Amino acid sequence: MLGNVRSFTMLSELLQGTDVGGFLLIQDSCSYSGRHLLKSFIDAALNREEVVHVLGLDVSEEELKEGLKSLVFQRLHFHDAYADPLGWTDNSPFTVHQFSSWRLAELLKQTAQSKPATLVIDSLSWVLRHISPTAVCHTLQQLKKGGAVRTIIGLLHEDMHSRGIVGSVCRLATSVITVEPGSKGEEALAKITKRSKLGKVTQDEQIFSIRKDLTVTVLSKPTDPGHKQSTTEEQVDPTANLTFNLRLTDAEREAKEKLALPFVFSKEKKTALLHSGPGSGKILYEPDASDDYDQEDPDDDLDV
Amino acid sequence: MAAPVKSVDKPPAECSPLNFTSFQKKSRSKSLSIPGTRPSVQNGQLLVSSGVTSLDYLLGGGLAVGTVLLIEEDRYDSFSRMIFKYFLAEGVVCRHELFVAAAQDDPDDILQELPAPILDDVAIHRPGEQPRMSCEPQDTLDAMKIAWRYQNLPKVQSALASSSRFGHYYDVSKTMEPEIRQAAKWHRFYHPEHPPLSSGTHSPKLESYSALLKSLRDVIQREGFDLTAPLPKSRNILRVGLHSLGSALWGDDLCCHDNPKNVHALTSFLYGLRALLRTSLSVAVVTVPSHLIQDRALMGSITRLCDNAIALESFKGSERETNPLYKDYHGLLHVRQVPRLNCLASHLPDHKDLAFKLKRKQFTIERLHLPPDLSETVSRVSKGELAGAATAAAACSSATSSAKHLDF
Repeated sequence: MLGNVRSFTMLSELLQGTDVGGFLLIQDSCSYSGRHLLKSFIDAALNREEVVHVLGLDVSEEELKEGLKSLVFQRLHFHDAYADPLGWTDNSPFTVHQFSSWRLAELLKQTAQSKPATLVIDSLSWVLRHISPTAVCHTLQQLKKGGAVRTIIGLLHEDMHSRGIVGSVCRLATSVITVEPGSKGEEALAKITKRSKLGKVTQDEQIFSIRKDLTVTVLSKPTDPGHKQSTTEEQVDPTANLTFNLRLTDAEREAKEKLALPFVFSKEKKTALLHSGPGSGKILYEPDASDDYDQEDPDDDLDV
Repeated sequence: MAAPVKSVDKPPAECSPLNFTSFQKKSRSKSLSIPGTRPSVQNGQLLVSSGVTSLDYLLGGGLAVGTVLLIEEDRYDSFSRMIFKYFLAEGVVCRHELFVAAAQDDPDDILQELPAPILDDVAIHRPGEQPRMSCEPQDTLDAMKIAWRYQNLPKVQSALASSSRFGHYYDVSKTMEPEIRQAAKWHRFYHPEHPPLSSGTHSPKLESYSALLKSLRDVIQREGFDLTAPLPKSRNILRVGLHSLGSALWGDDLCCHDNPKNVHALTSFLYGLRALLRTSLSVAVVTVPSHLIQDRALMGSITRLCDNAIALESFKGSERETNPLYKDYHGLLHVRQVPRLNCLASHLPDHKDLAFKLKRKQFTIERLHLPPDLSETVSRVSKGELAGAATAAAACSSATSSAKHLDF
């Protein structure tokens, strides 16, 4: 289904959704919207028979569902916070102030399935404008650890917030994809940073494009003209270019190994020498009459 | 010559079965003799190892008891977390007590990830193990072909007879064995387990930091680390590890806003922490995500309130990663502050340009220097030029074939 995607690229790995209990963050800016990539992730999750809950704050339900196949809609639950996010009318389905871990867990339990669901937040920027960043970070951390949610996918518009807020949210994420416009029309550049549990960080940059049916084609790595192909010098072989021969042929190597070394004893003699009886290595010294054997410690008078 | 030395006072250290010599240093024991510590050669202060021997060397021999080490985290918190784990692992190996506080990860998980120590004489917790001399299987005789007489000696021979060395090495690829880890006594503070009691009190302190300080004070007083209380027979050191203070998960908005509401929360906590540590036998390591704190003046006051301060800057993700100057290292290390404890001058490291590399068995901190230029074109590119333009450096090295040979 994913076309000519090589399975070892990081972007396709993330699309396959193998890591459980993670928080994937898609960062975009006004020059390139990350919503298409977000929809691809939703599509991939629905195709994997997962239940997806979407908190829609940025765009309306129709706009988000556009492009997704209608037969999977039974697994997609849209919580509309687009119409009335701040609760000005009294019957709003979801307001931004309800963004807390217990309220969201309740929401997810309403459509109780056998396995935990994927939560998609579109977008976190909206939430961050009305709720304090520390509360949002708390909620995300509790959702991650709680087990009510399989994975969280969030969209963040990085040009809407200060660096500190963006940095704080990125710290919580297990993978961050930053999308930027590519050099050609349909293409975009994705910079991916993935953090494993033990703190190992892997980074990658890939050019991708999204087709009409929301499948992602990973094209290639960007060739940055600034990165000159640094000719890694061949390991200089010290045995080359000498007037004498330092190398060994295979026959010579065998002969070298067969050589009987001096002081090589048979196994029995070796064990006999190694596991020698007690007292064979001690030195017994009897002081002579002329030996000045002083029991006192000469460092006694030092005040150390 | 080989007659046994009769020592006047028997030192209280336990007699480990791996004593290779019978030499026992006669000491008047004026200062406290706690395993895993040693007096500083500069000012007699009691020092503990931070777990990283090169860091100990930089900080003047080790961390002084009663001080705070501030580690400014690198961008992805990988290397600062590694040093944090080294510090705790050193505590387990030296049999100090631990106090671990974190908001993001459960302290249990942090302790599960501690690296395994490399030495032989650390395995004293297995009482049933015989010394290796007795029954070796026959096939290990083939292990050494020429030096077979040394086969049965343990691999690493410690120079000192005592098993509590100062500064150990750890293997990062393995985690510490559960037996060694469970023998250690430790206390935990996990922030989500302490929900705020009341909200809305406008005090300069933050609820989370107050709870942490209170918990630490309780542990110090209960377990007998307090120097003001009457001294129990055997003393030990408490190693305090506080992970990611100031991050949003502690409830602090230092990292989120340019003008944070709780500006003085972290600074008053650090002030209280240092006061608590000075009157007890403890050492603290605090990590702070300084790259998120926008206010440099605030970062400066946080640095001043801690005794030792280092900053880690990792190359991952920055444009420096491809710079040929930095290819052997994982990042730069900046020493921001070294304390002056009971003396007029502090011991500053000789070199300011330090770079670190995390190898499997060692975390090395070295002086950054230009590698020798062995290429055809021996044009001396200065360090400033090299750091400034990576592309220019590439152009320099490929401008070959001009006859610029060094002529002697």
